[in-house]
Amino acid sequence: MTVQKRRRMGRRAALRVDRLLAATARAGVAVPAAPATGLRAPGQPDLPAATGDPALPSLGVIVYNRLAFGARPGDLAAFNALGGTDDARLGAWINQQTNPGAIDDSECDARLAAAGLATLGKPLPQLWVEYYRGSAGRTVPVGDVRQATFIRAIYSRRQLNEVLADFWHNHFSIYGWDYSYASATWVHFDRDVIRAYMWGNFRQFLQAVTVSPAMLYYLDNYINQVAGYNENWARELFELHTLGSANYLGVMNPLDVPKDQNGLAIGYCDNDVYEAARSFTGWRVNNGSSGAPGDDGTFFYHAAWHDKANKLILGRYQPANQADMADGNLVLDLLASHPGTARYIASKLCRRLVADDPPQTLVDAAAAVFTAAQGAGDQLAQVVRTICLSAEFKAAWGQKVKRPFEAAAGLVRALNADFYPSDDFHWTFSAAGQSLFGHRSPDGYPDRRSDWANTTSLLQRWRLANRLVRNELDDVTVDLLAQMPGGLTTTHQIVDYWISRLLGRPMDPPSNRAPLVDFMAQGRNPDFALPAEQIAERLPHLVALILMAPDFQWR
Amino acid sequence: MRRDVTFTRRQFLQGCSAAIAAMAGARLTHVAFADPNAPGSATHEILVVVFLRGGWDALNVVPPTDGPDRGYYEAARAELMVPANQTLFLTPQFGLHPALSPLYALYQAGHLAIVHAVGLTEDTRSHFDAMQYMELGTPGVKTTATGWITRHLQSAPNLPSAILLPALSAGSSQATALLGSPEAAAMSDPSSFSISGHWQWGDPQRAALRELYTGDNWLYEAATRTLNTLDVVEAAAGSSYTPANGVVYPAGSFGDNLMAIAQLIKADLGLRVATIDLGGWDTHENQGDGADGYLSTNQLAPLGQGLAALYTDLSNAACLEDYTRKLTVVVMSEFGRRLRENANHGTDHGHGNTMFVLGGNVNGGQIFGTWPGLANHQLYDQADLAVTTDYRRVLAEIVNKRLANPYLNTVFPGYTGHSDLGLVRGASSGVPPAQPGPFRIFLPAVTHNDCL
Repeated sequence: MTVQKRRRMGRRAALRVDRLLAATARAGVAVPAAPATGLRAPGQPDLPAATGDPALPSLGVIVYNRLAFGARPGDLAAFNALGGTDDARLGAWINQQTNPGAIDDSECDARLAAAGLATLGKPLPQLWVEYYRGSAGRTVPVGDVRQATFIRAIYSRRQLNEVLADFWHNHFSIYGWDYSYASATWVHFDRDVIRAYMWGNFRQFLQAVTVSPAMLYYLDNYINQVAGYNENWARELFELHTLGSANYLGVMNPLDVPKDQNGLAIGYCDNDVYEAARSFTGWRVNNGSSGAPGDDGTFFYHAAWHDKANKLILGRYQPANQADMADGNLVLDLLASHPGTARYIASKLCRRLVADDPPQTLVDAAAAVFTAAQGAGDQLAQVVRTICLSAEFKAAWGQKVKRPFEAAAGLVRALNADFYPSDDFHWTFSAAGQSLFGHRSPDGYPDRRSDWANTTSLLQRWRLANRLVRNELDDVTVDLLAQMPGGLTTTHQIVDYWISRLLGRPMDPPSNRAPLVDFMAQGRNPDFALPAEQIAERLPHLVALILMAPDFQWR
Repeated sequence: MRRDVTFTRRQFLQGCSAAIAAMAGARLTHVAFADPNAPGSATHEILVVVFLRGGWDALNVVPPTDGPDRGYYEAARAELMVPANQTLFLTPQFGLHPALSPLYALYQAGHLAIVHAVGLTEDTRSHFDAMQYMELGTPGVKTTATGWITRHLQSAPNLPSAILLPALSAGSSQATALLGSPEAAAMSDPSSFSISGHWQWGDPQRAALRELYTGDNWLYEAATRTLNTLDVVEAAAGSSYTPANGVVYPAGSFGDNLMAIAQLIKADLGLRVATIDLGGWDTHENQGDGADGYLSTNQLAPLGQGLAALYTDLSNAACLEDYTRKLTVVVMSEFGRRLRENANHGTDHGHGNTMFVLGGNVNGGQIFGTWPGLANHQLYDQADLAVTTDYRRVLAEIVNKRLANPYLNTVFPGYTGHSDLGLVRGASSGVPPAQPGPFRIFLPAVTHNDCL
């Protein structure tokens, strides 16, 4: 950067540029030099070392609580039978899970079929005609997807698939319950966009998101036109979907932004947002109005609405009068291949799958794979494999707390309940603060423990546990006595069985077994058999208590 | 782990439960839980921070009504401009959007002050960056470990050593302004603040949970705080609440959350700070032409009704105490919106904004700040209302003069050269001491120490 540029830029802009240059330089190093000394990225404040951190559990427990919605009975034993070493077991599990179509999912399929969610199989034009234009109810499709999402999280054996669907729904987050294009076409967004591309190529994923009616509507690009720009989509595309705010340089002269070795700007400024908004003019929805040729909810490029003048995007000059959609496609090309996007997507995936502040070595490794595989059809699968098979993955535990969705699905899985998500269930669940597709702003639900280790999130998951074990909620049945092997009669036997069954490991610390024994025994000798009626009376509350324990909340 | 308790955990639990039980049914007073002679207890100020998420359209909330800026405003907002003759008269130059009429009476009575052209002195039009900068209280820095309210609670010299519920985030999540605060609770509604325990087994479950979550760990601390809050709220707030003075809160979560704040203030649990969010301000399209439509009906009307309801509910409540004498409410948002309307009857992200300050000790009925003008060369980036008043200047005056915390450098590190706008009454501490004493840390066990 020249002295003149620096002077023109002002101190704050210069500082932002310097920070970004440092990050860019680091990403250029093939083998990161920094040792993985801790689980905190540079620049993150260190929390005081805690003595109460939970011990590292078996790898199966880690896998089922971070790459799945918790273990159902039998899951951990099946994991342990996958190989003779942890690496062999993890490798085999990841091989299965990254090829979800090959996993038999008949139980989940049967439950979905029994649920009769009629919109799930309908193509986009039919959804549009029946639910947006017609009178069948605009929120029926998003309601059906919500039901299916819970059923899958609980019963699908394609667990990593469900974890990733949740991740990408929060990455490309849309408020689903608006009485609108988004709610009426939600099946399309979930099925044909999120789930269809989340294992594939990020550039193609980005294209599918950009032209989906739900996103075109939610971020207002469906009305973005040369006669009047709407920059909502363009701004969030840069900030939330690709480069992230770490690569945002604010209001500054685009000519002052340094370039990387490929001649691309190292970050974006407000001018890039305006130029991108112009690039996407005319990307709209076939909605029967203002020159649309049809009315079926599909994507429609309206050349007459497009701003054909020349543009400057991330330092790249785009001459005027390009072919249809070429301006917008260039923006997506530049963003999808930008190293800043690789760093941002990699760090978010690592935060979801490993730790709130993942080791920089892992983020760099995942970003390197993202960049190296950018032409590949399984680019995102390669990134996910890199993260899940890393040493850092196996070494991390207890840095995260389950969000309410993982906690709720995990409760039902651990209880092996016969479950259908009733209104009653949703009501209790949503009080914890994470109703599905219910985040109004486009940033998705947060993914750090500081956002979820609060009174509401904890209290409401405890409350859900109590209501589930008592069979209080409509359409949920659990028979705990029937699930307990015969012959277990003493407090010690009963407590130990359920600790192992629900958590897959002893209490941590071991002294936390005592309050459970005290609770179950209620003053009786824990070595002696409890009367059957006392077992029947107390068992649901004991089970709920184990599920409320810290051991059940860690990821 | 700092555990200043000398009694055993079981004694502690029993003692606490007994203390809470003794209070049940009676009206709790903070005297029972905090030292009445501690400095500050007599005034016991309460700050409520209302954050409008999405960027509210300051130029339509408090539009110019006269002079050359009216001309620039009308030229830039042919569709969206609020007709001058429909605004409520504030000053010869500005009017209030008519949908905020419930607040107009409070403005006229001198309880509501408005600050114009206020905001963040940082170049960003990102919602998320701007909100984080504002709530952390450190513009330009997103890695700050604590929010500005947390730092106030830690450094304020006048807070008693034990308070049951000093801070509340009304809603399902904890506000960023309370980041790092070990004593803040999040709650949307006291009536659903329950573990739904069995009548016989719920209490033993809670006792066992206290033991299961004993230790030095962020999750254990969050759970212990949850259990403490549960004890306190159950005993003191109960589940039913009737607002005073015939007040009716607007339907919806905003009204519910405001009502929860009023209920907890009146329960005298020591509540000092409450935060509350209202979203839906990101009006990129169809925000409503003139004084009508979405912004008016869906956003401003419930905001005005809700705040007026809170103020009236807390006025002379139950003929016992006028809580508004201790109350300061601040309304803020991450940025204002572009001067020029877009083609979709909406407005894109802008810069300068307006803040409202409401309370019994507010020098209301006035507009504060320096108006920069709306001519092209007067705009920020030739597009948005400029910022002439740092939002921290507004908050710092309240922290200093109402909450009696002189440590502005701690609450807003890097913020220098403060001078009061004159928004609120109270003594300014003048030059603040360089450093506060050691940070106060509210530990759950210490909090409960006074229960015994």
